[in-house]
Amino acid sequence: MTATSTSTSQPRTSTDIAVIGWAQAAIERRTDQNETQMLMSAITDALTPLGLTRADVDFTCLGSCDYITGQAFSFVANLDAIGAWPPKRDSHVEMDGAWALYEAWLRLHEGDIEIAVVTGSGRSSTGDPSLIYPMEMDPYVLAPLGADLVTFAALQARAVIAAGLADERAMAEVSIRSRGKGTVDELLAGEYVREPLRRHDLPPITDGAVAMVLATGDRARQLVERPAYITGFDHRTECHNPALRRLDDSPSTRIAAREAGLDDRGVEVAELQASFTHEELLLRHVLDLGDDVSVNPSGGALRANPIMATGLARIGYAADHVFAGGTRALGHATSGPCLQQNLICVLEGRS
Amino acid sequence: MTRFVESTITFPYKRSLGPVTGAFMTALADKRILGVRSGSGVLVPPMEWDPVSGAELAAELVEVGPAGTVEAWTWVPEPTEAHPLDRPFAFAFIRLDGASVPLLHAVDTGSPAAVRAGMRVAPRWRGRRVGHITDIACFVPGEDAQVDGPDAGAPGQPVELMDYTAAVTYSTPVPEMADRAVAATRERRLVGLRCPTCERVYVGGDRPYCPVDALELGPDAEVDLPTTGTLTNFIVVEPVRYPGQTETEPFARVFVLLDDTEVVLTYQPVIDLPVHDIHVGVRVTAVWAPADAPVDTFSGIGRPMGSLLGWTPSGEPDAHDPDLVNRIY
Amino acid sequence: MIPCAVVGVGQTHHKSRRRDVSFGGLVREAVFRALDDARMTMADIDAVVLGKAPDLFEGVMKPELYLSDALGAVGKPMFRVHTAGSVGGTTGLVAASHVRAGKHRTVLAVAFEKQSEGNAQFALGSGRGASLGAGGSFAPFVRAYIHRSGAPEHIGWTVAVKDRLNALKNPYAHLRIEDISIEKVRDSPMMWDPIRYLESCPSSDGACAVVITDEEGARAAAADNRPPAWILGMSSRSEAGGFPGRDPVRPRACLQCADDVYQEAGITNPREQIDVAELYVPFSWHEPIWLEAHALADEGEGWQLVDKGDTEIGGRLPINPSGGVLSTNPIGASGLLRFAEAANQVRGGAGEHQVDGAKVALGMAYGAQSQYFSMWIVANSLQPFH
Repeated sequence: MTATSTSTSQPRTSTDIAVIGWAQAAIERRTDQNETQMLMSAITDALTPLGLTRADVDFTCLGSCDYITGQAFSFVANLDAIGAWPPKRDSHVEMDGAWALYEAWLRLHEGDIEIAVVTGSGRSSTGDPSLIYPMEMDPYVLAPLGADLVTFAALQARAVIAAGLADERAMAEVSIRSRGKGTVDELLAGEYVREPLRRHDLPPITDGAVAMVLATGDRARQLVERPAYITGFDHRTECHNPALRRLDDSPSTRIAAREAGLDDRGVEVAELQASFTHEELLLRHVLDLGDDVSVNPSGGALRANPIMATGLARIGYAADHVFAGGTRALGHATSGPCLQQNLICVLEGRS
Repeated sequence: MTRFVESTITFPYKRSLGPVTGAFMTALADKRILGVRSGSGVLVPPMEWDPVSGAELAAELVEVGPAGTVEAWTWVPEPTEAHPLDRPFAFAFIRLDGASVPLLHAVDTGSPAAVRAGMRVAPRWRGRRVGHITDIACFVPGEDAQVDGPDAGAPGQPVELMDYTAAVTYSTPVPEMADRAVAATRERRLVGLRCPTCERVYVGGDRPYCPVDALELGPDAEVDLPTTGTLTNFIVVEPVRYPGQTETEPFARVFVLLDDTEVVLTYQPVIDLPVHDIHVGVRVTAVWAPADAPVDTFSGIGRPMGSLLGWTPSGEPDAHDPDLVNRIY
Repeated sequence: MIPCAVVGVGQTHHKSRRRDVSFGGLVREAVFRALDDARMTMADIDAVVLGKAPDLFEGVMKPELYLSDALGAVGKPMFRVHTAGSVGGTTGLVAASHVRAGKHRTVLAVAFEKQSEGNAQFALGSGRGASLGAGGSFAPFVRAYIHRSGAPEHIGWTVAVKDRLNALKNPYAHLRIEDISIEKVRDSPMMWDPIRYLESCPSSDGACAVVITDEEGARAAAADNRPPAWILGMSSRSEAGGFPGRDPVRPRACLQCADDVYQEAGITNPREQIDVAELYVPFSWHEPIWLEAHALADEGEGWQLVDKGDTEIGGRLPINPSGGVLSTNPIGASGLLRFAEAANQVRGGAGEHQVDGAKVALGMAYGAQSQYFSMWIVANSLQPFH
């Protein structure tokens, strides 16, 4: 695949935009709450510590997926969680909340508004992922085979192993580091779910919602001591059918990282949306993350995987590193089979 | 303990295939596999566009296979109902002879020990083929294509459409307040939830929050509401047919403003009021199911709420307030 | 903020069933028309934004994944929005936002729906029986409007006829009812009282694409005798759905969105300064409803504009010269079609349904229970009021 890039890595407008707070709700195997209820708590919990209310929010962008929820127009009910009365500037993406963040970041660059809330939410426990995910595949030749996400992940793991970027032991170690459970020998004694993937290589099913608050320039500095400035932000896609791609590489991640300015400066923390163990190893390689970079200190998607919010949570944890005094961190999000689409958000603190 | 309700969304979609995928499917019905030339390579299945640049490809179709080589595989120990085989099988990237990219399909080998990268496989065709990717039931080890049972032959005309049935079952939590609202209807009571901030009242409990103040409302917000009111607005629907449709005759749903409140119940079933007699201002009263009748606990737009089956004329004279019709919410 | 403009517009021929094309074929038909119009190729596009209504309509989840390569987005950002019926409009806004933010120079907005693959009524009821359909949602709003405005019933028929006559001038329109007449509309079956069959939108397969670029690109197009449509204002508003006292006939979200977009565009007197509008009118009564909610008519008087013929091509304020949603409704694309048709009007490129001398146009889309609104104002220059 050729890298197409005619864009600038940074917007030509000069607005400073920062993450100033975030919160999660539910983040459990199966919650009693519906999506609106989860969002209601997450948004309140993100705003309250900042001394903000919903009335202070100039723009909202929600990320969710009808097929996860099991209802057409499911996001409309979620308007109830944002306090859209009086009416709000608002949008919705049928994507992970990380892309809702991207839209809000673009919108804030227009310069006329100051505060945005973005969310990602989903109840993965609602339906059977092995029946839902084939529906995002080629509708003529892949979806009708029930070609599921784990099958494609296994085929990518084969490629990553063949390229010498991973082996089953290293994959087990990723799982242990993320979940803090088991030993390599114990894990490798397990059965394959899809060879070479075992249960520990797969993400858990998690319900949950994430809400994040953004503010521009001076407003961010008024509200928090150490805003996490977004200094690089980009996302790229690849062709859809994994059979047509080199699965031991992630060219879209490479382009997004370059456009987000990662080639020039390293990060201390990388929160990667690696739902499968081999994805972390592949992404580490593609992003050229050395041993000095702390990868997924949160436990990553292998510990909690609230689909449609997992990517946004990565950016939240990256922001936490900056809030705590760190200099630079990245959050990564992905969508589609075998890392089809990848997003990189670089966050920085300033002294 | 939260109650969960199950519902299955299933729909038989009809996909139009377009010229290239249509030709591919037509050939499958004839036990032939087509690819398309793209640069120096051959893409299988054929595509209308170059997968990297998006440029239109001249639809130069060529036959490939039918045998090929497994490039990579994974074992599916527990197939789902959506998979092509109902017994354990391998999903594999198969490079058909003459193709420059692999095709994903199932390989039937009985056990994972019998699959390996580099092995030769050939299609096992269905006896009855319609022009669908599963006209290839699966691939099997060897060089020779097979046919499952008697060969019914190709349909003999170009395939332009394919069926795709998506069926997913969802298990969704019912908010506790919704169950409480339904339980109240068994006692012939209608309860609402009053927002402590703006004092607006919401009925039903399936959305137990105030959208204006973005507040969740619990049992302490419950208030009893009158069970008489006035019809403010209505719809009469001429039902169209679709899979899952239960209605055949025009049916109505009405909006009811409860007496001495600001509360409007939307899309309520109406009972013993013929569709052509429905008008704004009709005084109505709640109709309850008999105490021992089973109750449909699935509430949704336009459905009964528990034992509240709907609303019927009370016999009082019509109300005449010109603003009534505006009370939709 | 970087000024931006529409330099390319494309749409498919819309039909109830486009059985001749795949999903990719459908969207590419619109995309190549837009690229040709902009004298560009896919290589000139920096990012793609895709909009469509619920995935349940076609049974393809997150179709931006499958369509990435069909849209020439490989190696580029591929973005997907969904804001109910307003989604097509929001697709235009988000694409333009990429350029305004200075993140990308040239962005392709694409929206589509292939309704014939499934059944919208089914999807609106999420697969359950007794789906009320879109008309079921809007009929009470229409009844309330008729009561409060005192509009005579022929207003609904008049809009239905006007938009179908306009559609006859639009080669891409779905419905082509050569013998459309007041009598024909009046005598058509009552679908959702008080909405008749011919006062309702069709269900279409179709797509629309728009190329948006920055000031430099737009000036280059202008220098090449291809007038750009400058985007002078953009706005969106959403409001919560069900709470006592909400007025879906004159939704506050619509009023605020219109105020906002006028203010940004420097419009102080919309009735005089807007030459033509493409409003999202899926049921004919929404034309007077939206005229009022966009301050294009006084409250209660929108129907009088219709009655006087002011909203016809050649009238004082033509509405939906393209034939509108009443003639063509690929749901997810319907909003972008409004935005695109508005752009074509100020570019002087609308063909037979061109409004003479149109300099400033409004494009509008809305969705859900009249809860989601998106609008843009386009003009033939950056300063049309000077």
